[in-house]
Parts: sequence; C-alpha cells; structure tokens
Amino acid sequence: MEKGKGRLFMKNILLLILICGVTLIVSGCWDRVEVNDLAIVTAAAIDKKDDNQIELSLQVFIPKALSGGGSEGGGGMSGGGAVTMVASHKGSNISDALSKLQSEFPRRVFWGHCKVFIFGEKLAKAGIQEHLDFLLRHPQPRERAYVYVSEGKAKPILELLAPLERYSAEGLRELSDLHIGMKVTLQDLDEKLIGIVQAAALPIVDIHPPGKGQEKLQGEPYIAGTAVFKKDKMIGNLTEKETRGILWIRNEIEAYTVTFKPGAEKGEISINPIKASVKLVPEIRNKKWIMVVKIDTEGTIIQNGTNLNLSSPKSIKVVEKAFEKEIEKRIELAFQQTQQELKTDILGFGEEFSRKYPDKWKKNKGRWNEIFPEIELETEIKAHIRRQGYITKPGGMPEKEVKEQ
Amino acid sequence: MIRNVSRLVRKTKEKKPHVQKNHDDSKPQDTLHKNYYQNVETFRSVYNNCSDVMFRPFLLFGKTKATIIYIKGLTNIEGIEEFVLSPLMNEPNNVPSSINEFLENKMPVSTVIRVNMLADCIESISSGNPILLIEGESAGFSLGLAKWEKRGIEEPIAEGGIRGSREGFNESLEINTSQLRRIIKSPALKIQSMKIGNYTKTTVAVAYIDGLVDQTLIEEITNRLKKIEIDGILESGYIEEMIEDNPYSPFPQIMSTERPDIACANLLEGRAVIIVEGTPFTLIAPISFFSLIQSHEDYYQRFMVGTFIRWLRFVFLGISLLLPSLYVAILTFHHEAVPTSLLLSISASREAVPFPAIVEALIMEITFEALREAGVRLPKQIGSAVSIVGALVIGQASVQAGLVSAPMVIVVAITGIASFMMPRYVAGIALRMLRFPMILLAGTLGLLGIMMGVIAIVIHLCSLRSFGIPYLSPLAPLKGRELKDVLWRAPWWMMDTRPRLTGESNLYRQAPEQAPNPKRGSETE
Repeated sequence: MEKGKGRLFMKNILLLILICGVTLIVSGCWDRVEVNDLAIVTAAAIDKKDDNQIELSLQVFIPKALSGGGSEGGGGMSGGGAVTMVASHKGSNISDALSKLQSEFPRRVFWGHCKVFIFGEKLAKAGIQEHLDFLLRHPQPRERAYVYVSEGKAKPILELLAPLERYSAEGLRELSDLHIGMKVTLQDLDEKLIGIVQAAALPIVDIHPPGKGQEKLQGEPYIAGTAVFKKDKMIGNLTEKETRGILWIRNEIEAYTVTFKPGAEKGEISINPIKASVKLVPEIRNKKWIMVVKIDTEGTIIQNGTNLNLSSPKSIKVVEKAFEKEIEKRIELAFQQTQQELKTDILGFGEEFSRKYPDKWKKNKGRWNEIFPEIELETEIKAHIRRQGYITKPGGMPEKEVKEQ
Repeated sequence: MIRNVSRLVRKTKEKKPHVQKNHDDSKPQDTLHKNYYQNVETFRSVYNNCSDVMFRPFLLFGKTKATIIYIKGLTNIEGIEEFVLSPLMNEPNNVPSSINEFLENKMPVSTVIRVNMLADCIESISSGNPILLIEGESAGFSLGLAKWEKRGIEEPIAEGGIRGSREGFNESLEINTSQLRRIIKSPALKIQSMKIGNYTKTTVAVAYIDGLVDQTLIEEITNRLKKIEIDGILESGYIEEMIEDNPYSPFPQIMSTERPDIACANLLEGRAVIIVEGTPFTLIAPISFFSLIQSHEDYYQRFMVGTFIRWLRFVFLGISLLLPSLYVAILTFHHEAVPTSLLLSISASREAVPFPAIVEALIMEITFEALREAGVRLPKQIGSAVSIVGALVIGQASVQAGLVSAPMVIVVAITGIASFMMPRYVAGIALRMLRFPMILLAGTLGLLGIMMGVIAIVIHLCSLRSFGIPYLSPLAPLKGRELKDVLWRAPWWMMDTRPRLTGESNLYRQAPEQAPNPKRGSETE
C-alpha cells in the first residue's frame, strides 16, 4: 500500500519535472536581454530643428571603454578617454527619431538608467508637452530622472567629456543632488504642469568652457539659473541669484553660502544655513491677497571678514539682523522677478491659497493670472547663528583691533 | 503524450524484481544438542572456512572434555588464558560437583551466561564473547571476554568549534553510550538496543530520557526501526533514509551529529538519539528546520554573540540559496533594478564574456561544486593542490581569459562561503542543490521565477514533518514564546521551558527568575 503510493508520487514528480523541463526548453526565454546587447542610455537631449522636426540625441555608455583588462590584454585603451558616445537622429517626434536611431544602432536602446533629460531652449519655448508624453508613457524612462533646459542647444552638453565624472550626465546629476540649483524630476514636472497653476520651473544648464590646457570638449556642465514654464512653454528665465530666492521660498535651500555685509561694518561675513523651516501663510485681508513668508533659519559662520568678536552676544545679534536682511532681500528680488517680469506662479502660492481659502479660490480660479501679479509679499524672518566654527574671534587679527560690541 | 510517458514509467516500475524476503540461512533456530560431540560438529560446520574462528579443545579439571570457541582479534586472548583456561585446566583437589555452579560462582570473568540456543551462541561468538562447550552440558557458556581494537576518543572532525567539549563519538557503540552516560548520570537515561541487518547484525540503540520524552515517540521510533529488513547497516545514513517521514525531500528530517554534547542537549529537550554501531554519527529525532542552522556554540558563547551569529546565518542562508539566481535574473531581465554605476561596471566586465549570464552562472556553480567535492574526497596532501588550482583556474585565469566575468566569480565565491556558514553540512548541501533549479528559474522567468521557486520551497518546508513535528515549528505554526531559541538565543536564565512540541510532558527545565542580580558592594555594607 505504502509502496504503491510512493511509486505514484515518483511518477507524478517525474512527469512534473518533464513538463517543466519541456516548457523551459520549448518556450525559450523570450524576454531575455543580456547586458551585452544593451545600449545603456545615460542621458537624452531633445533639440528643435528648423523644418518642424526634432533631433533626439542619446548619450550611450560604451562598456568596452571601461573594461580595462579584458580579453585582448587591455591594449589600446586611452586612459581617461570617453566612456560614452552620442548618437543622434532627426524625426518628427521622439519615437520617430528613436526608431530611426535604433535602425542604425547595433544594440537595443535601454532607457532604464537614463537619469538626465535635457530639452533644448528652442524646443522648450515651443512646448514640451508631446515629448513629455513619450517619456511618461514609455515604461523604461524613470520618473525620478532629472529634467533640464539647456542654454542654447542641448546636444553639446551630452558631447562633453567631463574631466571629473565618468560622463557629463553623471556630473549634472550629482550637481542637482547637491541642491544648489533647482532639482526637478520628471514626475515633479508632470505634477506641476497638470497642477492648479500650471506653471513649472526647470534648471538651466550651461557649459563651463574648458580651462587652459584642457581639450576642447572637456568643459563641465553647470546649472546657470532657472527656466520658467507657463503651461508647457518656457517664457523666461531667472538668474542664479534670483534662483536662490526662489529656493528660499520653496524651502529647497540646502548647501549654499550667504555672504553679506553686517550693518555698518567693514568686510563681509559668510554664513551657511544649516536648517531652515519655511512656512507660507496665505491671507486675504480686505480683499487683498497677501502671502506671509515665515522663515526660521539657523546658520553657521564659515568666514568672518570683519573685526567683530563673534563670541559676544551683541555682535551676534548684529550679524543675525544683517543675515535676516540679506535673506529678505533675496526673497524679494526673486519674488519681484517672478511676479512682475514673468507673471508666473512657480512658487506654489496658488496651491497655498487654494488650501486655505477653498471657496474663494474656486471663485477666482480663472482670474489667478490677474491676481498673482498683485499679491503682496510679507516676510517674517528669524535667523539664528548657532555655531561660530573653531575660533570665535576673527582669525589672524591682533586683539586690539577686534571690536567688542 | 502524457499517457505514453506515464505508461513508460509504469512499465519500468513493474519490471523491478520482487524483494526477497527473509532468506537468512545463517540463522538456525535450533537449541543445542545434549551430545557434546554433535554440538562441536555443528559449530564446525557453521564456521566452515572461517579461518579466524578458533576452536580450543581442552580437558576440564583433567577429565571432562570441553571446547572454547572464539574469534581471533575480537576476544581477549590473555583473558582466556588467565581466567578461563588456567583455572579450568587445573586439577583441583576436590572437583566441584556442579560445573554450572563453579562457572557461575568461581570463574573470575565478569559475565558468564548460560546459552541454550544455537543462534544465541553464534551471536555471542560474533560479538567477541567466547563460547565454552562442555561435555554433558546441553548449553554453552558465553564468557564476557570481548575485546577488540577501537579508535580512541578523538576530536569531532566534521563539527569543530572554539568552545565546548573536544570529545567526539567514535565507531564503537559502547564508547558512544558511555559518553552519553558520562554526561547524563541520571538513571532516567534509557538506552534500548536492537540488532538490524541480516548479515551485519548491527547494534542500533535508542537513547532517551525517561520522563522528558514523549513515550509515543519512542514507540514510533522503535516501530520504524523494527520494520527495517536489510542486509546490512554500514552507517546511520541507512537508518535515516529508512525511517524519515518524507523520503522525497532534499531536506534532512533527522539530524546527525558526532558530538556527545549536542546529543545530550537534544536528549534534555525531550528528543531521542539513535546510536548506530560502526559510525560516529548518531541520529537525533525529531528535529525542526531551525535545528539545522543552529550550532552548539550558540549556547556556549554569550547570548548576544550567539544571537548575532544566528542572524548572520539567516542572512547567509538566503544568500546561499538566492544570490546567483538574483544575479542572473537581474542581468537578464531587470537591468533597471541595480544602481546605474553598478550596472555600468557589470556591463563593462561582461563585455568580453561569450556566454549568457545563466550559462555563465551554471558553469561557475558546477565548477565550484566539483572543486568542493574533489577537495573533500582527496587526501589532505593533494587537497591543497586542488584549492590552488581552483583558485587560479576559476578565480583568475578564467576572468583574464574573458570566459567569465569578475562579478560572477565574486557572486559564486560569496555563495560558496554562505553555504559553508550552515553548521550542519547536510542543510548546506540541500540549499546548494536547490540553487541550480533556482538559477534555471531565474534565467527563464526572472524575479518572477525566483519568487515561484521560493514559494514552492516554503510550501514544501511547511508540509514536512519530522516524526510528526512540523518542520518549521515554532515559526509555522507560530509559537511566540518558543522563538526565544530560534530567532535569537535567549540567555540561559531565561530559557525556562523546553521546546513545547518535544518536551511538553515535562515543560520546565529550570527554576524561574535566575537572572544574576548580585548586590553591589555598597549595598552589602
């Protein structure tokens, strides 16, 4: 009885193994793609061409360039040479250009690791909606990839041979991660454009020309400011300094040094904000739309060019006051620019108002473009200086000259 | 097609010859004859052509004929000369009236047993105790003079360690049981023995602690042992396969150990230990999966260290099963699932490799297994040569030749080390074996395939039983308080209870609340 059961079990197992084995062999592995057959795209640039066409440029990783040793005994690898190449093709839209590009390309284009998308300035001004559609619809491009607008054409940025990073796109991505300029992902952009105010800001990329002794392509891309989008079209830009103000209001400021003159003193003090909490408090008083920006920040002194003794509470107070002023100045500058020049709400004020005053927002939703230029900005800034660094008195200055205040 | 295949399978099954049942010629069921000469003749015919069996006829007290039968090398010959032959061959002044009485009362030999059955006489001779046949007696006398060369107690080779007893079991059953008895001195330690194997007559002993063990378990074990009918038992592995619950499983449901301290620890938790003559590996039943990934040193080290090492083992358990298949799956299907720079490095190193990832993985894993197996079987002197060749060939040369990528070598190496992390060799080898189907699944279905494989393994583990105890207990079915000895190793003063499933009849093993809490110096004043 028991033995019969075992036999049946064995038979079933054999059958199962047979069927599984046959399925594996017969079906093959149809989705299988070896890494060797992939063209790993590290960055993509989209430029507008004259005849209503676009040019898609892909920065593609060359595995051979990295595999130093390899089978051929490592001959002929130029040290520090290009690990990426740029392939580009024209087409009526991205997918058209891509299919044409693919037909000339021996490896399958793989978007999964493309973390940088750059729109050319011309294209950005003409509208990016249809291109965004491709990037969001296709399963491979990451929604957390960063999006940029280039100063001029986008393709040259991909062609750069960044001296420090493996490839230029990597340098650009790291730069965004440092949070010095605006940091916008594909998903952020999508959310902003379909959001209630339909305005977005993207970082602008420019090329830092190569220094002396460097080869022609060895420039570094850097973030040169902010492009402002109304709906899907770029309508203007902000300088680097104005961008800082925007970052303050949007609470995205991270590693940036503020340098200013404290009061009537000679020389400048540099402060690094460590922590900043920003609150936007919308108010409607007497039918006036007012935005109160409340900032509470803490900073650390990284350089003291004045003769103030920063260990005394009094002089700290002076510096704090000046720091507050400086922040206020920056915010107001940025606000002026976005409100008066660009007339576009990239600061997210609309969302704040809609949250606090949903009824009034509903009524005035259509008029937001008229209301925004008339919003008044009030600032309440509290700055604290918590750390002075290793020394308290100005470094390298005789005691007599230090001003105790 | 399926029908044809199954018919094929059935046919081959039917061709199997019937197992011959109980054809044991060497087991005469007769009693000894009254006639001395006939008895000697019977023994001579039984031991025909056995040059190692000695017949020594002599005159008892100078007049009665007698023969002593023993096997050279199994019997203490000096003992025979000194304690048997010399007193018996003496011609004493007053001849004792009853030989029986003399043998029982005046022979300086520890055991003298009167044996009536021929079969029992043969068994006595085979196990080294000489048989004394005397004219006029219808029985033989078995003299306890067995003595043969034994390996001494040595360090257990397969289960080393830093802390803990250095004594291991060896091939002799008596020494093994004595080691248990030396640790557990209570008479509650019971050792029941039986003989299995038509030719080898191997002694198999079941040890347990009365009062801790569930009696039905002992009954079940003895029943299963009694059902075994086999030519010979050469190692406890024979027994293991004949009595386990699910023979078609890669996972062992009975644990083997060559350490007396492990055996005793399990006895104290209400398990049974099966000792088999001729092998240092004793069997422990019932066990759970977690017994296999625990080591004796977990209990000897500080509990935090023990817990840490257990967690490490859990991690490496997963690695040893899954790492190569994960690598294959990611490289063939899920390229986006690794960080960019890692993918770039991998793709750079794979550039010159001519094989797809799955083939590469299979080649490397099979080579590794072959190297390991070669290293185990070879004599020690050549073993190091194998490892050098292995390290050079699969480690360096194959990468330099561009046949295998360097990341794959790293993956295989880590996996190999991970599988050696399992304190029980058998558990490690089961996982190593399952790795291959997992790699195939990963190479054909990707992460989906891996998940399918893992689910199948978990279901299988859940369905396993070891003498009725769920294999994954106490995790499934979940017994929260029992996890003290599974997920971590509780300090000894907290391990108040035995595992419930094996030690339920006598749950508490120690007094509660024994956490050391000495008074501080200042408080004693």
